[in-house]
Amino acid sequence: MNTYYAANLLIYAGIDIIACLALNLQFGVTGIVNFSFIVFQAVGAYAAAVLSMPPDTANGGFQHYIGGYSLPFPAPWVGGAVAGGLLAIPVGFVVLRKLRSDYQAIALLVLSVIANTVITNADKFLGGAAGISLVPPPLSDVINPNTEPYEYLYVGITAVCVVLALVVVNRVVNSPYGRSLRAMRERELAAAAIGKNPVQLKMTIFIVGGVIAGLSGAILVGFIQVWAPSVWLYPETIILFAAIIVGGRGNNVGAILGALLVPVGFEEVTRLLNNNASIANLGPPGLIPALQWVAIGLLILGFLWFRPQGVRPEPRRIFEGGPE
Amino acid sequence: MDLFVAAFGFGLVSMSVIAIAAVGFTMQFGITNMINLAYGEVMISAAYVAYYVNKAGISIWLGMVVGALFGSVFSFLLNRFVYAPFMRKGTANLGMVIVSLAVSLMMANLLLPIVGYYSVSYQEDAGSLIRLGSIVLTRDQLIIIGVAVVLMLGIHALLTYTRLGKAMRATAANPTLARNCGIPTQRVIDSVWLITGAMCGLAGVVAALNSDSFAIANGAAFLITILAAAVLGGAGQPYGAMIGAVLIGLITELSAAAWSPQYKEVVAFAILVLVMVLRPQGLLAKRGALAAAG
Repeated sequence: MNTYYAANLLIYAGIDIIACLALNLQFGVTGIVNFSFIVFQAVGAYAAAVLSMPPDTANGGFQHYIGGYSLPFPAPWVGGAVAGGLLAIPVGFVVLRKLRSDYQAIALLVLSVIANTVITNADKFLGGAAGISLVPPPLSDVINPNTEPYEYLYVGITAVCVVLALVVVNRVVNSPYGRSLRAMRERELAAAAIGKNPVQLKMTIFIVGGVIAGLSGAILVGFIQVWAPSVWLYPETIILFAAIIVGGRGNNVGAILGALLVPVGFEEVTRLLNNNASIANLGPPGLIPALQWVAIGLLILGFLWFRPQGVRPEPRRIFEGGPE
Repeated sequence: MDLFVAAFGFGLVSMSVIAIAAVGFTMQFGITNMINLAYGEVMISAAYVAYYVNKAGISIWLGMVVGALFGSVFSFLLNRFVYAPFMRKGTANLGMVIVSLAVSLMMANLLLPIVGYYSVSYQEDAGSLIRLGSIVLTRDQLIIIGVAVVLMLGIHALLTYTRLGKAMRATAANPTLARNCGIPTQRVIDSVWLITGAMCGLAGVVAALNSDSFAIANGAAFLITILAAAVLGGAGQPYGAMIGAVLIGLITELSAAAWSPQYKEVVAFAILVLVMVLRPQGLLAKRGALAAAG
């Protein structure tokens, strides 16, 4: 196992953990079924990309995108996080205000499909279907990104971001505010009756989740250096949902566990299968990746059927002195 | 101007296709309380079933019947073996949405290795052109419109005049009360899945017939247009879905003429957003889905 591979694995794991923590805050703790989660990650990635890149006339002008501000690290990452939060405001305004929760889920799913269509077709806006490439890695003007120390540095920055995200979501979940969120998730009407404003609570968490999702996108694009509509199709969100369902809804430790088991596991199995030529060329083209998606679907159905609370269930919060 | 009149003609075909699909979808939701996000994938599967029948040298009209039968049986089994057990287990509405999305993902990916990525089209001569002023339609397109009109009248008759239709409306309004009144709700729900499944399969075939070619990726696009029509009309309301289909079909075709056909689904989505902001209950919202017309 070489350094590059280990670093690669750790960085992906970190990004997936951050994303799962954000989605768990929205879906597990608050009960918002955010089927367009990947769009928030994508907007963070696009924002970080165009903030860190030179104007699109550079490199012979082979790609087209708006912006291009060549900002130094960490401005693009902050920009990615802010972009995720900003996107959550209009989306939340339309979706979370009046609609029933299953309608909300559908509206967000449709948004995810449509956003991808629009970005794919608008080829002057963010590179269209081809996407954006040659995104400069953060701090590449200080350290050569093709060296081993840089790999360690990137793992380090990612780890800092994971800790930051974990601190934020833990603070929210374990505060009285988190109790309001859980109360609303369990019975919205009852929470409203004791003076909690469900729309406001959901809106806040939608924005907080959007910020964290945007940050995860910024970290990802800084590492892979390309971004295109094909990497944020709506099934990507379903992988993260599978992670939360497997790990344990509403439990941050469960979300981390789920991130390590499902998305990271999915990537690794893909890599191993592709390395093994006799398996990779089995059956008609595309059979193995297609079957992996089927496996994700079966994983969701299996867990919802046999263990809906996940591997690490949400702890039951019991108060001393309460009735038995 | 002629461009828009011609677009109106395409709008008539488009709304027919959407109406068949959206009424089936909205009845599933209205009566069985199940938002079946796998609907688009069942449609595309039926289109492929008809494609293989057609490829064997059999007329596409027979293929359409086979596609509808496939949709019917498949939807029935899907409910019997996946949705109904989860519902009996007490999975919440939100959980059911996730279940149906997982089913949709699995269907698309089981279908993919069988049919491949490439677009296919039916072996069918679309027939002579028929001119009505500036509106030019093929014989096949007129048949699609005819099928849709007959089917909508049939649904209206079913819900209004038959015992089964009345039982469906009673089940939609209050399943427990309906059961207590001696209505066999289980059999009613089974027949709903059989009927709406047939509409879903039929819609898949006519949608594929109406477009020059189709591919596996069309399933998601179908679903979005259907959702827009169903939500616009008021989810769970068959008559609302008919109105929604008329509006969505016309507006998307007119906008395609005025702007760009690439953005048909985007226009459908814009309508969906407007409805959600201005009138989230849809055009024909009433207490209880499937209330009588008028």
